[in-house]
Amino acid sequence: MQIQITFDDEWSEEFLDKVENDGPWANWELYKLAVQAEKHLAIPEFEGLQAPNHLNQLTPLPHQLEAARQVVENMNGKAILADEVGLGKTIEAGLIIKEYMIRGLVKKVLILVPASLVSQWAFELNTKFHIPAVVQRKSYVWDSCDCIVSSIDTAKRNPHRDIIFKQEYDLIIIDEAHKLKNNKTKNYEFVQSLKKKFCLLLTATPIQNKVEEIFHLVSLLKPGHLGNAALFSEKYKGKGRTIYEDEHLKKLVNTVMIRNRRADTGIEWTKRHVETIIIKFSPTEQALYDAITAFRPHSEGAGSSFSSLTLQREACSSKEAVFTTLKNMSQKHENPAPEFIEKLNSLFETAKQVERNSKAEKALELIQKINDKVIIFTEYRATQLYLQWFLQQNGISSVPFRGGFKRGKKDWMKELFQNKIQVLIATEAGGEGINLQFCHHLINFDLPWNPMRLEQRIGRVHRLGQTEDVMIYNFATENTVEEHILKLLYEKIHLFEKVIGELDDILTKLDIGNIEDYLVDVVEGSKSEGEMKIKMDNLSSIIQFAQEMKEGNLHAATGNS
Amino acid sequence: MQQQEIHDFLLTYFKANHCEIIENHPAYLTIQLTIELDKELMNRPFYWHYLEKTGGVPNPSQLTLITDPQQAPADLKGELIHFGSQRLHQIFASTKKLAGFIRLYEEIIQSGPAQNPLYPWLSINAKISYQSDRKKDILLSAGLNLITGEIVEQFHEKLLQIQVTPKIPDYSFTLSPLIKPKSGLLRLDSYIRRTFEGDDHTWAERAIERWEDDLRLLENFYQDMEDKAESYYTEKEALQNRYEPNITISIVNGGLFYLSNQAI
Repeated sequence: MQIQITFDDEWSEEFLDKVENDGPWANWELYKLAVQAEKHLAIPEFEGLQAPNHLNQLTPLPHQLEAARQVVENMNGKAILADEVGLGKTIEAGLIIKEYMIRGLVKKVLILVPASLVSQWAFELNTKFHIPAVVQRKSYVWDSCDCIVSSIDTAKRNPHRDIIFKQEYDLIIIDEAHKLKNNKTKNYEFVQSLKKKFCLLLTATPIQNKVEEIFHLVSLLKPGHLGNAALFSEKYKGKGRTIYEDEHLKKLVNTVMIRNRRADTGIEWTKRHVETIIIKFSPTEQALYDAITAFRPHSEGAGSSFSSLTLQREACSSKEAVFTTLKNMSQKHENPAPEFIEKLNSLFETAKQVERNSKAEKALELIQKINDKVIIFTEYRATQLYLQWFLQQNGISSVPFRGGFKRGKKDWMKELFQNKIQVLIATEAGGEGINLQFCHHLINFDLPWNPMRLEQRIGRVHRLGQTEDVMIYNFATENTVEEHILKLLYEKIHLFEKVIGELDDILTKLDIGNIEDYLVDVVEGSKSEGEMKIKMDNLSSIIQFAQEMKEGNLHAATGNS
Repeated sequence: MQQQEIHDFLLTYFKANHCEIIENHPAYLTIQLTIELDKELMNRPFYWHYLEKTGGVPNPSQLTLITDPQQAPADLKGELIHFGSQRLHQIFASTKKLAGFIRLYEEIIQSGPAQNPLYPWLSINAKISYQSDRKKDILLSAGLNLITGEIVEQFHEKLLQIQVTPKIPDYSFTLSPLIKPKSGLLRLDSYIRRTFEGDDHTWAERAIERWEDDLRLLENFYQDMEDKAESYYTEKEALQNRYEPNITISIVNGGLFYLSNQAI
């Protein structure tokens, strides 16, 4: 492929001149510095953003960086920036100007904004982006400055208009671009006739009334992108704002428009309220729990895959969960000793005696009181099924949600929950890959022992887009392993208030690969409750310490960039 | 670029320009500018013009540049300097301007009475820019032996290992070049062209595809118009400006180096 190559002749000529005249020659130290500086200024890749390295005092938000990257990499430098109000379109525009300037693709910039915003734009570009933007006040400014901010009303009038047309602007930015929705206006005509090598249109309301507005806006930026006027009006005329529904058009528009919504950016995170609800076993439930605690399946030859701890935790959830495990035990055991069979049978009997589920009753009461969408998480499928039945008995319909569901079924369940059903009951594996920010009540029917899994549960509802404070109800039965875990681990280190990622970081640093295994070890390996408590306390103080270290680091890390 | 590196850079720059370093604190530098550097950096041509007309006593500025605001005294008056700040980039540009051309000799520690022949090399540090609507730079340092015609890459890195001096050392003598500097430059030019013509230029093909896509849309937009509006031509030109791929080779700096046989 033949590409135009130009060689810097100016240097050659000057060099030969110096050879002729025997100097003057540069200083070696400076010569080396010049090479060093050039290494820092060279653009290493076509992709990515250089601007953030040049902006010491500005930390753009992730959605702003992403917007800038999109414009440079995928939109070829022509875009409508249509974020909702207050998300920093100016910052995005500044990043893009800076990026192109650093890359040497843009030298002259014209920024047209409403008169009331002229000074503010110039100020922000100067202070935040070190871009020497100048407010157009005198007409000579047009010739002498590379980056100019002017009101569109001034710019379109002579003598300015003629001067502007003589300039070769590389980048044109228009703020409040929705004012150009009418292609019959002088402003529209003016902008249309400007040469736009790169161009950004900024507006928070790309469509206010009519579908033609978006057509005119896009056609200003990239004529032909939405077809020509005749074709477009034939296809979409009179459809008003409903074009947001038109998938084809939406797709087309989205290739030239970036629209972040306030709710998508994580700028305003809502609060988490955590309530621990301690539930008292009924006498029969207590009897089952006690019987299980006394049962040592391992020593009775049931194999190492079953432990009394598993059963204990299940007993805290539902007798159905216990049944499932007991059944597994009897089936998997090939040559059971008669005593073992007897023990199992007696446990079955004890379980059958349980006539109610105190937690489920509490959940019902809570759901009725909340009278809003609720998501219930449980670790056990048996509990999930039972709860669905139990709620149905009490006139509350619910949908199940499991990791094993196919994509289509997941979407269907989610949609049912969003639109029709009050309660969604999810098992652990269902916790990933579903976003339920339209719901802000979460019941942890039983607790996962792995804090990360708990965080994933909460992350389903407490995420970008959640507009309400999130209520988290933790159920724990009194005087059981569950209560120990909840009290000693979750309450002490305030896990529930953490943001996703934070804890993960801490645990990785501590090299506690699997905190759940560790906890099982502590609970099972401890000979007394006192010993267990000490071990738990140790763990929680280690985590607390790591957390403080991390916060300390954070402060130190902001020092040098 | 780390703040420490910037600090060192500034220190070297001002020292090399013969400025007095009033204070070299880890967090900041205070420099007494020379008249030359005041003119170079402080952007006050009227002051200097006035002074020269009236014959007054020149009073070049002092400059305080803060490289670590956390450690600097709170009441210190000075300019915050960091990668991306205008002052640093002004100094980068100034460095390049002041250090465009050089001639150096290898300094050889003399052991015997023999004379040391020094071979002439022509070297350039070049920046090759691939540009369409996107951009990428590649730096290349090449040296041409003006006697043998041999071309060596990463010449600058090799030079950094050698002791050099601006004056021809005693007991050394330079060999006359067989290749004149002018034709040397042409050789380097065509060497760089050859090197980069063979590079992977998918980037340019992609740019042309983008260009053609946008052109198609533009034609479609104006297809019903018999006399195409002025804006059609403007837009077409803008597309060319934006997408047309080109490669520019610009020289950062370069010069003549007289080096011993075993230096490179």
